[in-house]
Amino acid sequence: MAKPAVIVVGADKGGVGKTTVSRTVLDYFNANNIPTRAFDTEAPRGTLMRFHPDITEIVDVTSTSDQMKIFDTLNTSGTSVTVIDVRAGLLSPTLASLRDIGFLDAAKSGQITFAVFHILGPSIASLDEIAETANFMDGARYFLVKNFINNTSFFEWDQATYNSYFRRIKNATELTIPKLNEMAYEQVEVASVPFLKFVANKGPKDEAANYSFVLRGYVRHWLGNVWGEFDRIKLTEIVGSKDSKATPRAPTSEI
Amino acid sequence: MRRTPVYVVCSPRPAVGKTLIARVLAEFLLLKNGAVSAFDINLREPSLLNYLPRFTETAQIGDTFGQMALMDRLIVNDGVPKVIDLGFHAFDDFFKVVAEIGLMKEAERRGIDPIVMFIPDRDRASMVAWQMLRTTFPNAALVPVENEHVLWGPLPQGFERVRPFRIAALPGFLKSIIGRLNFSFTHYLRTNRDQSSELHQWVRGNYTRFRELELNLILHKL
Repeated sequence: MAKPAVIVVGADKGGVGKTTVSRTVLDYFNANNIPTRAFDTEAPRGTLMRFHPDITEIVDVTSTSDQMKIFDTLNTSGTSVTVIDVRAGLLSPTLASLRDIGFLDAAKSGQITFAVFHILGPSIASLDEIAETANFMDGARYFLVKNFINNTSFFEWDQATYNSYFRRIKNATELTIPKLNEMAYEQVEVASVPFLKFVANKGPKDEAANYSFVLRGYVRHWLGNVWGEFDRIKLTEIVGSKDSKATPRAPTSEI
Repeated sequence: MRRTPVYVVCSPRPAVGKTLIARVLAEFLLLKNGAVSAFDINLREPSLLNYLPRFTETAQIGDTFGQMALMDRLIVNDGVPKVIDLGFHAFDDFFKVVAEIGLMKEAERRGIDPIVMFIPDRDRASMVAWQMLRTTFPNAALVPVENEHVLWGPLPQGFERVRPFRIAALPGFLKSIIGRLNFSFTHYLRTNRDQSSELHQWVRGNYTRFRELELNLILHKL
């Protein structure tokens, strides 16, 4: 059996697109037939839960009982990948908790695959977050995600300053999430379905829906680009999927 | 299964006869099918809407609302042929959106037959745009239109190995007649008694070639 993989998606700043990135990750694993479960730390009503209710649980990642629910079941849950959408401000405390329970040591010794998707905001504070988060990244795959979905321009960054932060971290990889047409994004929000179902014109319960063909086209094109980034970093291989050598499926109108 | 044709009459260049060809085509389809829907995407040129107001509506592709209003209609297999008079200002944006949302592929799946009628002139922009269309939509029906009014000779380099759709030139005084806003090609065919007149021959010839084009496309699909 493949060793369990945990992917933490987070940022200390709010509104930078953590849940959006988590949703694209879940869609990507779904399309590649990799069994996945997700935890949403935005209690009491998680946003991720709204889009992926079948595989998502809401937890408080700082509480011991919920930590047990997540990490004590890594080998027994029947899924190989666990995605944790960490709510704003909780990334550093969550990583500290993982260190305290010995999870980071387990990752370092290769018992568990651990990856962090750190979603960067436009402010200089995000660069300070990198420095803080980097302290926990020994043994983890660290991805710095520049999220342009909400037209972030990263205007406060001086490239030289960013590079100096970036160089401090061993094995950090940069990911870019492109912009999605605003109306298409809004319509997926309103529909409350995974991006894949929206592209396939399906409702929450797989019933036929009537979304605009134009908006579905925009989402399909965008999701294809996002998955292109995941292919580039070989995400399926990172999580140890058996089918990692198979060509990942492109978003299509049919599911 | 019933299939619905969608004609896009286009050029990256102004004043090459897009609206004229869209008019003749729309009237032919109306005569043959009893129904047609035309869309006018012209910002600054003479407009199809002025000639065929009963069957034409304006469309925009500059914003997402406009794109949805147009493209979501084009993709419906309702048996009503559609004609788009695409102004040269909107040429690049239109085909960029078509490529991005995957309209050609979805059209094939839903029983829609997009046919791009491309009117070149001798400018390099025509050649570049034609190559772009052939590269971006390799499986689409791309038909170059050899408009004698514009080219005064054969199609320029780059259009070899494709069979063009020919539109013959008309003398100036006949051009002024068909340029009248209330002129109808079908009505002229029905009411004109002199079948040997040049205009009569011209309209009949164009209608015949449109029918041949439809037939060729059906045979090609088979």
